[in-house]
Amino acid sequence: MSWQRPNHPVWREVAQRWLRVAVIALGCSAAVQAELPYALIGQSAPDFALRAAVGGNARLSEHRGEVVVLSFWSSRCTPCRTQLAALNRSLTTYHSAGLAMFGIGVDDDPAQARDFARSASVSFELLLDPAKGVSRSYQVDNLPMTVLIDRSGTVRTVLRDYSPESEQLYLQQLRALLNE
Amino acid sequence: MLQMTRAMSEADETPRRAAPAALLAPLLAVVLLAAAPPTALGAPPAGPEAATPAAAASAPAPPPGEADSPLATAGAAAESSPDTRGLDQEIQDLKKDVVDLNKDLFILEEELLFPANTQVAVFLSVDVGQFFGLDSVQLKIDRKEVINYLYTPREVEALLKGGVQRLYLGNLKVGGHELVAFFNGKGPNQRAYKRGASLRFEKGVGAKYLELKIDDRQKKLQPEFAIKDWE
Repeated sequence: MSWQRPNHPVWREVAQRWLRVAVIALGCSAAVQAELPYALIGQSAPDFALRAAVGGNARLSEHRGEVVVLSFWSSRCTPCRTQLAALNRSLTTYHSAGLAMFGIGVDDDPAQARDFARSASVSFELLLDPAKGVSRSYQVDNLPMTVLIDRSGTVRTVLRDYSPESEQLYLQQLRALLNE
Repeated sequence: MLQMTRAMSEADETPRRAAPAALLAPLLAVVLLAAAPPTALGAPPAGPEAATPAAAASAPAPPPGEADSPLATAGAAAESSPDTRGLDQEIQDLKKDVVDLNKDLFILEEELLFPANTQVAVFLSVDVGQFFGLDSVQLKIDRKEVINYLYTPREVEALLKGGVQRLYLGNLKVGGHELVAFFNGKGPNQRAYKRGASLRFEKGVGAKYLELKIDDRQKKLQPEFAIKDWE
């Protein structure tokens, strides 16, 4: 006995309804994700000191006076690699205007994160946060996630995904912060 | 140097200081309001001699012909410059008062949080640093970890230039205590290097100051770690 695709009109209608519901639910969840409030907006950015995957350690408070971009990534996150490359391009352009950038890896396995960092070939420091203390303090709920901090050390913007549209928004926000 | 020490230890002490800072902030605001001259606070001038640029701005404008004449402009500049200088002086005095007050509050906060009879401070210094590249220091007092500090290249550079960092400031009761410090970093030939140093010390009624010293032992081509008790 073999399975046959139901071709009855009632079945088709049920399937179409389910499909519609699924599409609406997906759209709603994406919209909710994009508009989730971020408690740290307008607050002082939590300070941290982390080891870099390659190179020396880094401390956020040493970069007061610069616009700082924090990008949270993981070796298992495919869009993270694309986003880190895009961030690297913006750093090349705006570094002289006072832009500092850090990638913060949330992998449990530092060796895996180091492999990712070596292959990412970006000019900014990729830091390791295996204990996830910094990720918790920045309330990371999505990867990739980008946090923009102004020159006075206040969290100003958070971007919870990566797409060409969000990259445009990121560049717009970054230029505004650099001009302040 | 004091500023560097404060800055380096600030990040680790922020949560502990948050509560007293919140209490002291309104106090600072009240004292500032009381200390500020009425003109600086936007209050109306007391008499004709207390005229300010704000009052001048609100005064009726001269006729257009008079205002445009060079003589009138020169006269106005001559009249307004002493006022501006006076205002500048007032602002500078106010800034100085704020700085002094901030200093006093800082000292008061430390005296309240860390009274001299229980205070213990641990400092760290690096001499030469040819055989050891400092990465982190873990400090334990009476087997309890009190701080684990990660050093950035800038901080290491500051220490190598002669800076002394106040690594830890806390309270201990009178009596015998044990301090253990673990130093992590790169040793000779850029290899991972971890060493420890310990000291048993007696805490008296006065403040206790201890110094972690990282030095180079030229004879053995090895770094040396020591804890010095400032009597």
